[in-house]
Amino acid sequence: STAARRPWRLFGAMCLLRLPRITQPLEKEEEEMAAFMEQIELEKSHYSDHEIRKLEEEEQLKRRKESLYDEDETSGKTVIMAQDLEEKWEQKFLRFKAAPRITDADKSNNRTSLNRKLDSNLMLLVKQKIGNQELWLLPQVEWQPGETLRNTAERAMATFLGDHIQAKILGNAPYGIYKYKFPRAIRTEDNVGAKVFFFKALLQCNDLSQAKLQADYLWVTKKELGDYLKSEYMKKVNRFLLD
Amino acid sequence: LCFFSSCSSWLPQRVALRGSSHWQNSLLELRTSLPVRAQPKKKKKVDVKKEQAQKDRMKKKIKKLEKAAPELIPIEDFVTPLKYSESSRVRSLPALSPEESERRVLLLKKWCLFKQKQDEAEKKAIKALVESQQEALKELRLESEELYQAAIRRDEGLFPFERDGPSYTPPLPGYDPPEGKCIDITKVYTQ
Repeated sequence: STAARRPWRLFGAMCLLRLPRITQPLEKEEEEMAAFMEQIELEKSHYSDHEIRKLEEEEQLKRRKESLYDEDETSGKTVIMAQDLEEKWEQKFLRFKAAPRITDADKSNNRTSLNRKLDSNLMLLVKQKIGNQELWLLPQVEWQPGETLRNTAERAMATFLGDHIQAKILGNAPYGIYKYKFPRAIRTEDNVGAKVFFFKALLQCNDLSQAKLQADYLWVTKKELGDYLKSEYMKKVNRFLLD
Repeated sequence: LCFFSSCSSWLPQRVALRGSSHWQNSLLELRTSLPVRAQPKKKKKVDVKKEQAQKDRMKKKIKKLEKAAPELIPIEDFVTPLKYSESSRVRSLPALSPEESERRVLLLKKWCLFKQKQDEAEKKAIKALVESQQEALKELRLESEELYQAAIRRDEGLFPFERDGPSYTPPLPGYDPPEGKCIDITKVYTQ
């Protein structure tokens, strides 16, 4: 029955995702809602121990000012006021410098680095030679008999990134398919076209400095895919990519 | 002491057999060999009975406790400590103006719409994902049954799947967190 059907060459491709490391910025409605929720919480709450302490100390201060320093002499020990504690905490917080959300790679738009666009998914694109054209594609490798398609995809990842990549492949089944027929010049009875099956994997390790990258590579977000991929190919790839 | 003198008058030959041992020693030996009719033995009987009765009562109590249903462990989170319901703790805030309440209602409606759009977009994306996968599997089946069967097999190594979520700022390289000890003070109840 396989002889009757037109045979296609099979390829396994791997879509390697680097998941976001920081939270996405809130939309305008989300920010308004967050402020509103905080207000509601404040209105419905009762005073906490710290707030009661603060109120009492304010009362004491007022009384001391009005009663002409009579109580000052009786209380010999210096008491730490709640207000002082708050100021101390505020100072400590201001002294801490967190890592910036927009990294250097963002500013220089260095698309080969993994530190770019920390709040969105990044995908690996490699330049491969198909026929006599050099195209930007998701890393793909031809299927060989004796292995499952998932193994083909793993092999594709290993050829371009080296053996020791910690990636979690999400399942045995392919996520998408791109079918294309070869141009008439190459097309024969046995070799009509190719089917590229896409698999998805999540990158576990944070830096790939040890990986030996064989070809030109890029890490791009979903929006930037349009700059590199062909339209038909991109349509199929976009279907299984969540933003 | 008087006991000893009465005994010695009763059975003189036994005392004589003991010979010239110290009178304290012979007193003890006489006690063991005399016929059982004296006061201390009666006390022991009553003691034994009393002890046995006590043991039975304890056993009955233990059985009753075991038969009773186990007490429910109180959930600390659901019980508000009484000190937080005092009236002195109630916050005093200015009342809401009508513009403010109007703004709040409109904000809630906008939020409702925003969330609806977000949910629809998510569902559409998931649908597209599933469709894409089904199409891929269909094409694979047309190609080769064996590869198709390998693809639809369950992936054992996938679950349990663990991942830390994103934080607000990326991790600071070379950050030294302050040291401290965590002492767990949760109350542990046994049934």
